[in-house]
Amino acid sequence: MTKRRMFLRMITASLLRRRSRMLIALLSIAVGATILSGLVTIYIDVPRQMGAQFRSYGANMILLPKEGTHMTAESLQEVLGVIPEAEIVGASPYRYVRLDMPSRQQSFITAGTEFSQVQKTSPYFSVEGAYPEKTREVLVGKEIAETLGIKTGSSIELHYKTSGTAGQGQAADAAAGETLTGSAEGFNKVIVTADLVLDEEGKIASVSVDAASQTPGIGSLVGTDRQFLDQFIGKKLPLSLSNTASGEDAADEDHVVDAVTGATISSQAAVDAMNNAVLSGEAAPVERAEQFTVTGILSTGGEEEGYVYMSLPDLEKLTADNAVDVAELSVTADAEVLEEYCRAVSEANPDVTARLVKRVTRSEASVLGKLQALVFLVTVVVLLLTMICVSTTMLAVVSERRREIGLRKALGAADNSIRKEFLGEGLFLGGLGGLIGAALGFGFAQVVSVNVFGSSISFQPLLLPVTVLVSMVIAAVSCQMPIKRAVAIDPAIVLKGE
Amino acid sequence: MALLELKNVSKIYGDLKALNDVSISVEKGEWVAIMGPSGSGKSTMMNIIGCMDKPSVGEVLLDGVDISKEPQKVLTDIRREKIGLIFQQFHMVTYLTAVENVMVSQYYHSMPDEAEALEALDRVGLKERAKHLPGQLSGGEQQRVCVARALINHPELILADEPTGNLDETNENIVLDLFRQLHREGTTLIVVTHDPEVAEAAQRTIVLEHGRVAREIINENFEA
Repeated sequence: MTKRRMFLRMITASLLRRRSRMLIALLSIAVGATILSGLVTIYIDVPRQMGAQFRSYGANMILLPKEGTHMTAESLQEVLGVIPEAEIVGASPYRYVRLDMPSRQQSFITAGTEFSQVQKTSPYFSVEGAYPEKTREVLVGKEIAETLGIKTGSSIELHYKTSGTAGQGQAADAAAGETLTGSAEGFNKVIVTADLVLDEEGKIASVSVDAASQTPGIGSLVGTDRQFLDQFIGKKLPLSLSNTASGEDAADEDHVVDAVTGATISSQAAVDAMNNAVLSGEAAPVERAEQFTVTGILSTGGEEEGYVYMSLPDLEKLTADNAVDVAELSVTADAEVLEEYCRAVSEANPDVTARLVKRVTRSEASVLGKLQALVFLVTVVVLLLTMICVSTTMLAVVSERRREIGLRKALGAADNSIRKEFLGEGLFLGGLGGLIGAALGFGFAQVVSVNVFGSSISFQPLLLPVTVLVSMVIAAVSCQMPIKRAVAIDPAIVLKGE
Repeated sequence: MALLELKNVSKIYGDLKALNDVSISVEKGEWVAIMGPSGSGKSTMMNIIGCMDKPSVGEVLLDGVDISKEPQKVLTDIRREKIGLIFQQFHMVTYLTAVENVMVSQYYHSMPDEAEALEALDRVGLKERAKHLPGQLSGGEQQRVCVARALINHPELILADEPTGNLDETNENIVLDLFRQLHREGTTLIVVTHDPEVAEAAQRTIVLEHGRVAREIINENFEA
């Protein structure tokens, strides 16, 4: 038999055949280890748990396109690639457009989004009815629903209109050689109409104005005065009247004409009519309409109650573009990591700005910090108590075994042998207690988690060896004073009837 | 040749001279009894011979080494290597079996060897009780285990402190017979006792009184 086997045999015999005393030491270590592993499990899991809790307060990151640029569903997906998928709770794209409801002479801000994501980023949304699942289904804010008496199942028709004040760019869209007609209010709010033909470069080739309704001999001249009409040839839209007082005329010769003397208002009307003429052609205001079924009424307690929500594809059909105005993200990460993600997003796509919703991330960080500090403190206190308990028990064990220690020394045990034996027992107790504690601790954490956070906890495999190791270290440290006592025992006590 | 030699040894505790200028010599293979009333200095002498205490004055030569000058660590080594101890109250490790108790001695000395330990138990007539815990053994049996433990490492000197003090006559005789056997094999035996019968079993008796050697008695009836 080797020395090591004898060593183990002595230690196990000491622990197994002297059960009651060792059970107390084992129990205290096991309890300490239970609290330790339990709290550490919670400590590790709390951010995840709390993160999930906090995620119910809504998005903590917002993506916006830089001014003058667009974001689309595709570019959004690309940008999201820089954030680990597992940490994204949800990502909702939003496109906001004003839609009209001519039947009620109302218009609402309508948001196009992805409902499956909205439920994740805005878990506080309360829907009476159901989220839309099919195409041409909408969610209507409570405020709108109440004002208009809309109910779940109602059918509404929504119209999308371009404003009709589109810029000069559309002039070029007008086919060359085609006659364009426009009108505008002139003197006394009477209509003046103008016909004009543009050449290939967008320059005016010919023009005629009907101003017969204007004051005869004054306003009506804008339709007959050749000098006035001829100056339009070769000019480009949009046009404006020269204003000699401002002195800016020369700057934009292509677009400026002089008014008929004494008929400024009629001249202006002619110019406006020509400007409008362009827009009544190909670039005229667009209107698209679609019939929708209301699947649910949304109440949030906020401004969302004044919006209509539909799926992004539905809205795209109306607007005929695929822009996204903003994306709300809910990410489980602490403030620091979130900041990093923000930077990464901007790097991945310089046209996208990522911002944190500070209100959410800050309170999350501060609550987490406090909770973790508390858990840490309790763990330290429990470990100290465990050490005191183990130390006391081992001291009692040493004094109970004074004779035996004296005998061992009398038999020739060196101080180091005594140290080794007690340390061995301590480590054995620590290891066993740690093992028991790790198992019980997981159960303990599970119970706490289910009761406090309402969700089960994930097992941390690394925690098992860590708990065992820490328990052994604690046991070893606790054994130091008892070992000192044991080593100091005089072997002579075994002599005589002492 | 003397295995053990005490030269003018004194042990002083404050005003008390537990040993006062004692000089004795024990030959290799000799069986010596040390007698004396309580407070005569027996225990002090036993501690010094057993390398568990040092004299205040004087030299103690064990196998040619002056153990009075050695540090505690070396004394532990000497005790382990050269001395087998037997105590009045047996002192077994309560949670180890008889054979394991013998093996503890081997463990500190060199290498535990269960077969050899069982052989030693066989020699004291306890082979069948090898797997019993001390609590399951009688006093006599326990003391025999202790004898087996003392002789397992083949020490130069067996130092017994009142070895029969807690035994009945039958067991006393068994233990004394074991001593006779050891003596025949050439082991040096020093037995501290106040039992005249035990002392008479030895070749020579040193009587201590008030920390001094009062007299030495040679046992003329000694039977090896």
